[in-house]
Amino acid sequence: MFVFPAGGIKIWILFNNIMKLNDKFAQLRSEKRGAFIAYVPFGFPTIEKSKKIILTLQEAGVDIIELGLPFSDPLADGPIIQSACYEALTAGANADELFAAVAELKDKIHIPLVVMTYLNPVLHYGVEKFLAQMDKNDMRGIMLVDSPIEENADYMKLANKYDIATVCFVTPVTPPLRVAKIAGVASGFIYYISVTGTTGPRALKFDDIGAHIRLVRKYSPLPVCVGFGIHSREQVARIEHIADGAIVGSAIVKFIKDNHAHKDFFIELKKYITQLCTK
Amino acid sequence: MNNLPNKQGYFGAFGGKYIPETLSECVRELEEAYSRVKNNKAFKAELKYYLEDFAGRETPLYFAANLSKKLKMKVYLKREDLLHTGAHKINNSLGQILLARYMKKERIIAETGAGQHGVSVATVARLFDMPCEVYMGAVDVARQKMNVFRMKALGAKVIPVENGSKTLKDACSEAIRDWVTNVKNTYYLIGSPIGPHPYPMIVRDFQSVIGKEARVQILKKENRLPDYLVACVGGGSNAMGLFAPFEKDKNVKFIGVEAAGEGLNTHHHSASIARGRIGVLQGAKIYVLQDRYGQIENAHSIAPGLDYPGVGPQHCYYHDTQRAQYVSVNDNEALEGFHTLCMEEGIIPALESSHAIAYLKKLAP
Repeated sequence: MFVFPAGGIKIWILFNNIMKLNDKFAQLRSEKRGAFIAYVPFGFPTIEKSKKIILTLQEAGVDIIELGLPFSDPLADGPIIQSACYEALTAGANADELFAAVAELKDKIHIPLVVMTYLNPVLHYGVEKFLAQMDKNDMRGIMLVDSPIEENADYMKLANKYDIATVCFVTPVTPPLRVAKIAGVASGFIYYISVTGTTGPRALKFDDIGAHIRLVRKYSPLPVCVGFGIHSREQVARIEHIADGAIVGSAIVKFIKDNHAHKDFFIELKKYITQLCTK
Repeated sequence: MNNLPNKQGYFGAFGGKYIPETLSECVRELEEAYSRVKNNKAFKAELKYYLEDFAGRETPLYFAANLSKKLKMKVYLKREDLLHTGAHKINNSLGQILLARYMKKERIIAETGAGQHGVSVATVARLFDMPCEVYMGAVDVARQKMNVFRMKALGAKVIPVENGSKTLKDACSEAIRDWVTNVKNTYYLIGSPIGPHPYPMIVRDFQSVIGKEARVQILKKENRLPDYLVACVGGGSNAMGLFAPFEKDKNVKFIGVEAAGEGLNTHHHSASIARGRIGVLQGAKIYVLQDRYGQIENAHSIAPGLDYPGVGPQHCYYHDTQRAQYVSVNDNEALEGFHTLCMEEGIIPALESSHAIAYLKKLAP
């Protein structure tokens, strides 16, 4: 695939490869727009439907897919994602199935795939083996919810070895010094969590978010994307105005949950995502 | 007393702070606050006052003459059941609520399995007039009705948790979610030596009063230290409280009794050390019951307080360094232990402690 950015300054030549996060953000910058990032748990509602969902998200204009590897005890997730992960696990989702699915799809995917999960499934699979599989399948980013900077040195080192970006979280209660430390080890982008709380749709305080993003930018040249709570087209647009990207999870998961049994589900999903993207 | 954990919160390979970023700062604050108060004279005096005058310390070290005769070895019982609210849990709850007050937190949350910890938290929250919400698995709510009643009578809100196995593990996850959401004003009062650093250390320290007293008492009664300390282990609070003050007494052997439920070869047990593998659950690297993909398995025990698929990091360390031996006792054996103590001593034990009683038979000459 060839991508010619509107500015015409650079040309990205991609031989049917999944893009790296850095290249994607460079492309977005030249197009002067923010990233629309969609989170879906792998294997929800079933492994087969989940594969088709990934392709549908790409078709609908999603810039980056955050693919959740479900964990039995998702501490940071609200009820919508908790129950979807539970269903995905029941449907047989696991690391092997995830890598098999991506291997099957990767010739059709060009947008970056970032794995989002908790530490234990990765630890148990073997951190290096997991990252090697990601590398083999062109998955160029990982974020581990329960692995803060105090605990992630080993996996960071290995991720670097395999050229996999380690997306890190910053929250409304992260003090400036810690933001600086996190920025020092993160790569790909900074995931700014919009609220103290778990995932799930809610109202957002854009002024607070804006102030925090300015703080993060003081310490980090990385793109800053905002997640948690975002569920409407209007919110996405406002977030993309103040940050480098908006991450939508629970709202999409809920849409899938409510509609996946419909005959025209994939058409409906594409429509829903397209309107969320505001492009 | 104990040199561990190290600064990073590790007991050997176990422990640490595997938490969502949102909690990092408040866990650091907790660590800082605890290190300030733990040797503070006024804090210690206040805790001592409440432990003695409110909770009823010290507890007797009772020579179980009938049981001793039957087993042909001397057995002493540390009577933590005689404390206010009926279990050792109040030791830690008093310590932590004083810490929460010191940190100017306004709201208390807790998880509970059997309900003993929940009742003790509801009690201390009422004592200090703080709003209190207790997360409890729906299965436990149904099987521990009396404790639910007690918590409600004490003005606490009991929130049944309908996720997963609907027991202690899920109650703990739900409490952490609440904490992530209300991190600024809420104190999470954990009842077991589990979770992220500094909790395993804090719970151990506040429960160590058990072992400190027992050590003095046994020396007074027998003029020697015991050969064995035996305690049940779920998350491991009563065992850790008993063991830790004897850590340097190398001739005192520690035996932790895990719940074998319906048998170690079934999927219905809570023997995290016997059958678990190293993993990360609810903030710490510990032995965890998990499947081949690192998904946490549901634990089972007839004793709701042992019904947890992990075990505190210091117990994992004691196991690895062979400082303690971990054994297991199944549901039926525990029930037998329960009846034995009732009939021999006129003491009705909790189902949790019944596991430790049951193991005595295997230890007898």
